[in-house]
This record gives sequence, C-alpha cells and structure tokens, in this order.
Amino acid sequence: MSTFISGGCKNGKSFYAQRIAKAGGQPLYYIATMIPHDAEDDARILRHQRERAGWGFETLECGADILTCLDRADPNGSFLLDSVTALLSNEMFSASGMNEEAPEKLARELTEFVRRAPKTVLVSDYIYSDANLYDDWTEAYRTGLARIDRALARACDNVLEVVHGIVIPHKGVLPL
Amino acid sequence: MILITGGSYQGKLEYAKARFGLTDADICVNDIDFNKKCLAYIDRYALDAIKRGIEPADIFKENADKLSDKIIITTDISSGIVPMDATLRAWREACGRMNSFLAARADEVWRLFCGIPQRLK
Repeated sequence: MSTFISGGCKNGKSFYAQRIAKAGGQPLYYIATMIPHDAEDDARILRHQRERAGWGFETLECGADILTCLDRADPNGSFLLDSVTALLSNEMFSASGMNEEAPEKLARELTEFVRRAPKTVLVSDYIYSDANLYDDWTEAYRTGLARIDRALARACDNVLEVVHGIVIPHKGVLPL
Repeated sequence: MILITGGSYQGKLEYAKARFGLTDADICVNDIDFNKKCLAYIDRYALDAIKRGIEPADIFKENADKLSDKIIITTDISSGIVPMDATLRAWREACGRMNSFLAARADEVWRLFCGIPQRLK
C-alpha cells in the first residue's frame, strides 16, 4: 500500500512516515535524497541519521534519477522517500541553471516508482499558502512541486496531510 | 454560493470545471464580473484592489444579492511568513477578511489538497 504525505514543516510528517514504512516490514529502505552543500546540510543529515538509528533502515543514497534505486533494492520491500521536495530541487537547479523539464520527469519517474515498489511512503512539503510574489524560478519550482504532488496523490493508495502531528486522510485510509 | 479554497496549484479551478461543467466563457479570471457564473482567483482581484486603495471584501458586500448562484475560487494565502512589503501585508489580511465574509455566506465551502476536494462546510 503506497502513501503520500504532505503538510507544513516540522509538523511530524517524517516521523509518521517512518512509522508507516517500518510497519511495512523488511527489507526496509530509506532513500536519502539530500545532496549536502554546506555544514548546515551536513548537520541536518546527521540529525536525521540519529533519528533513524535503531529503526532498521538500510540507506539508499539517491539524489536524482530515482528509478536507479530499484536496481540496488528489492522492489517488494518497504521504502521511505523523504523528500520529494529535495529531489525536485536536485533535478531542477544546478550551476548551469534551471531544468524546466524536471517536474514532468520526476512526476513520471515517481509514478513509475510507486507502480514498481507498491510499499512506498513519500513525503513532500506544502508550500502553497503564503502571501508572496516570487521570482520566476521560485514560482516554477512551486508549480512543479504541486504538479508532482498531484500526480502522486492520484498514484498512491493513501493521501495524508499532517497538521501539528495530527494526520488528516484525504484519500484511502490511515495506515496506522 | 459555493466557495472553493486551497493553496496555489492544488486543482481548484480544475475541480470547479469538472463538477459544474464550466467552459472558459463561464469563468472570470483575476477580476470580478457578476455576469459570469464563476469568479476565479479573487485573491488576484484583491491585490489589484489593495493597490487602488479599495477594501476587496466591499465589492461582495455591495453585491450580496448577486452572489447566490456563484462559484467563487480563492487562493488561501494566509499561512506563510508576514511579507516585508506593506502592500503584500495589506493584501494578505484583506484576503483573510474577504474569504471569511464569503465562507460565512456560502452554502458549501470546499478545500482542495493535492487535487483532492474536502468539504469544510
């Protein structure tokens, strides 16, 4: 059973996602999506690794081309992909500029990922309710992430929103 | 009146079109035209109104008799950082007042999340 989770930052999405993934049994994979760029990223990664310690996750490092993960893992296993937001950032922006095809590519690849590995939990970020007028790149990123979120909401069995640690089911059931 | 809310790019207009069979001719985008069945993205009208020194909710209060058969789509911009820019700050608060006024009078209020509708009222 696949699950898509979104919501505001620090509301408990990752913790709940870890619990769902663990309940999916072994083999249990954590797909690490962040490509560290500075000491702050290193510290964040270290904090996340500590939070996952003892949960029994095997870590798959994959910052782009997400389907390559399945060449190194058992597709019948339980996967936690945290986060869609980081993946899109990796695929969309580089020193050479913005790749406008990235959202379409990622929507297609993640839909295929869920089809091939049905016990997948994906975490995204709800960044759509602020009062700001952004530059074209930021707006393209928001549009792109929403496009992927909506594709995953169609593809996944469960769609959940986490608000202050409270889980609201928008589609399917509460897995826990 | 039916009010459809939610963050940016969540599928609000797509939902309205599918549910009510709206064509582009039925929809007024980013502005207010009470001859149209659907007023989409009134948050954009609100920003223009603020820039002209008008309270965005007023046009709905003054035309309350024309609201009953309308489908109104608004973007919820209420849950981010308070903007540095004074116009955007005023816009953010005015949208809150406008949306609350409309939601109180709406027969149905729907919120779209990742393309999925949820009935709030």
